[in-house]
Amino acid sequence: MSDFRISRRGVLAGAAVLLASTAMPSFVFAQEPKKGGRLVVAADSEPRNLNPAIVASNGVFFVSSKVVEPLAEASFEGEDGLSPRLATSWEGSEDGKSVTFKLREGVTWHDGKPFTSADVAFSALQVWKPLQNLGRVVFKDLEAVETPDEHTAVFRFAKPTPFQLIRNALPALTAVLPKHVYDGSDIAANPANNAPIGTGPFTFAEHKAGEYYRLARNEAYWGENQPLLDEIIYRVLPDRAAAAGALEAEEVDLAAFSAVPLADLDRISKVPGIEVVTKGYEALTYQLIVEINHRRKELADLKVRQAIAHAIDKEFVVKTIFLGHAETATGPVPKNDKQFYTADVPGYAFDVAKANALLDEAGYPKGADGQRFSLKLLPAPYFNETKQFGAYLRQALAEVGITAELVNNDSAAHQKAVYTDHAFDLAVAPPVFRGDPAISTTILVQSGAPDGVPFSNQGGYKNADIDALIAKAAETLDAEARTKLYYEFQQKVAEDLPLINVADWGFITVARDTVKNVSNNPRWAVSNWADTWVEK
Amino acid sequence: MSRLFLRSPEAVAGTIILALLVAMALAAPWLFPRDPLAIAGPAMLPPFQDWTIPLGTDRLGRDVLSGLFHGARTSLAVGLAAAATSIVVGVLVGTIAGFAGGWVDEVLMRVTDAFQTVPGFLLALAFVSVAGPSLGVVVVAIALGAWTQPARITRAEVLSIRERDYVAGARVIGMHPAEIAFREVLPNALPPVLALSSVIVAAAVLTEAALSFLGLGDPNRVTWGGMIAEGRAVLRSAPFLSIVPGIALVLTVLGVYLVGEGAVEASAVKRGNA
Repeated sequence: MSDFRISRRGVLAGAAVLLASTAMPSFVFAQEPKKGGRLVVAADSEPRNLNPAIVASNGVFFVSSKVVEPLAEASFEGEDGLSPRLATSWEGSEDGKSVTFKLREGVTWHDGKPFTSADVAFSALQVWKPLQNLGRVVFKDLEAVETPDEHTAVFRFAKPTPFQLIRNALPALTAVLPKHVYDGSDIAANPANNAPIGTGPFTFAEHKAGEYYRLARNEAYWGENQPLLDEIIYRVLPDRAAAAGALEAEEVDLAAFSAVPLADLDRISKVPGIEVVTKGYEALTYQLIVEINHRRKELADLKVRQAIAHAIDKEFVVKTIFLGHAETATGPVPKNDKQFYTADVPGYAFDVAKANALLDEAGYPKGADGQRFSLKLLPAPYFNETKQFGAYLRQALAEVGITAELVNNDSAAHQKAVYTDHAFDLAVAPPVFRGDPAISTTILVQSGAPDGVPFSNQGGYKNADIDALIAKAAETLDAEARTKLYYEFQQKVAEDLPLINVADWGFITVARDTVKNVSNNPRWAVSNWADTWVEK
Repeated sequence: MSRLFLRSPEAVAGTIILALLVAMALAAPWLFPRDPLAIAGPAMLPPFQDWTIPLGTDRLGRDVLSGLFHGARTSLAVGLAAAATSIVVGVLVGTIAGFAGGWVDEVLMRVTDAFQTVPGFLLALAFVSVAGPSLGVVVVAIALGAWTQPARITRAEVLSIRERDYVAGARVIGMHPAEIAFREVLPNALPPVLALSSVIVAAAVLTEAALSFLGLGDPNRVTWGGMIAEGRAVLRSAPFLSIVPGIALVLTVLGVYLVGEGAVEASAVKRGNA
């Protein structure tokens, strides 16, 4: 209570600050970070497994990245876009068969045991490679991890593996688990998956299902004067409309991952004390794509796929569905990726007449009722935007005489229908571009993925040229030559359209303006928040 | 009967509302020949701005008025079909159970009990999420939870009717039991069930809207519940998108109830007079 009492001294001090602010504005605005305080964050889902080393997905990272740290984090300023975390330096060998990590000294796990190279070796060989959704691809040739001393880990690969790829994979794929907790147990069923133990700035305190997660300050954190917050509370608010209300009522301080619907941003940005931040998702670009089942004879015809690409008004999608918070896509690499993107690919301008002409040419003339053929369209249910795009695509196809029948499913049924049963003609999917095409992008067009692997090529597409290109890039060590191969990859994909890239989008953070150091790295929402603080 | 019916003001109001709705549903394809899901103008146009799109457009630029008219078709079609299905099934089960008695009665009534113990909406949710959302599935899903009430009422009526003299007479002249059940007993057991029908239609319309609201309606058709769900994301900036179909839904349910009420009252007055 005493904090809120107005004293004469307080008023005088306040007046002095006001005076000073008119005289020296820059001095007042350069605020000194303050320690302490609680950050309340809106969470829209409660992942069952919170182990980021097994489930490398943003829903898991959102909570667990504060507890379990990777070897390096993405950074706006750092060399190669990285800043060190548990590793202080990394170096690839000439032959591409080994990578040497120097590890941070004086780091302890939340249970007090020291962090050593044995933990890294264990995580890499026992978890990332065999169990992790993305690590299975990137670390498939990892043979051994040597630990010459407690703070050096040398990764040995059976086949040359591009260092560029390993580097790009560090932030998302290399969460390090404590060996002494997991060794000898069934890793996938270890209780620590629900209450993670890590080295991060916050310790996992409790989870009340349906209510909140609580993380508490790790007093023994290696970062100097970090973390700044006392605790982070994730309030579970599954209803998207509720997040905006909770922010306005000052019940939560921050809502990330576009928890506030895009349509509400314009209104909420005018509410005093609330800021809309579009930065901080550069390394988490989502792609809106149309997956195509090439088993359908109509869709196996390139002309039909080109017609569909011409029938989609990408500008409309960006303007109306994403309300401007997205970019039109030209191919499988998003425009905001500085390393790999090339604009030099065949484009498909919105052109209904051309689409109609292509369909006529392909031998599917309009029938008496104006229809050519009908398709089953399955929009992914994960985002409002994917569902809305499904509704839009149905209309866009109707304009060129293709009847699309929408089929809505829940997440589990959608994944089964598309990725296991192949019971679709077209599907709308939101894969993530994770800083390197080899991590989770090439798998969307490469042939040979076994049935049931989600977010992989399950459309029965097979193109020997593209497969060869992907294989060659996977073993090209020179970063420049490898990038060139991915330029070619983008051209080939845009030319042959195994899938259609429509738009790329990042998310929006809405925060109260008392929260400081928001969005100061390209994966901010899923980084460790050690330097985040709250002004009181 | 019809004179009595029209004497109550509720019944008249209900009839007018329902007549308007039916007219809307029937006129929809003539007034709005385009697909109501087609993009008709700029997105999120507020109402009364453009007179070719009087009620504005939704987040994709679809005409709200056209959606309202075509939605009336879906709502009424699903409501009536689901009510008809559940009444037919319910009456059949009730008549057989009541007339046959013995173990047939036991089995059928225990099955009815089993269905009654599960909340109807839950049953509908489960069924649609397993079978996949389409209009036919939604109708069956709603009927699944609604047939038990008519079944119980029919059985109760049949139990009393089957002891009447004319039924005994029919037995004596050697009519087939099935013929007695459906020719002699059933028609006399129907009136109380039909009085229940308005409640069932209203509940079916609401259940359909609730299913669509949860994204379990047929996505290839406009439904009022779907329109409300669509509008919910922008409730703060474009409330009309949820309010307009919401009002339509309220009026429909109100109309059906009022008509039902009027019918029950009229029949009560008639019985009292007789």
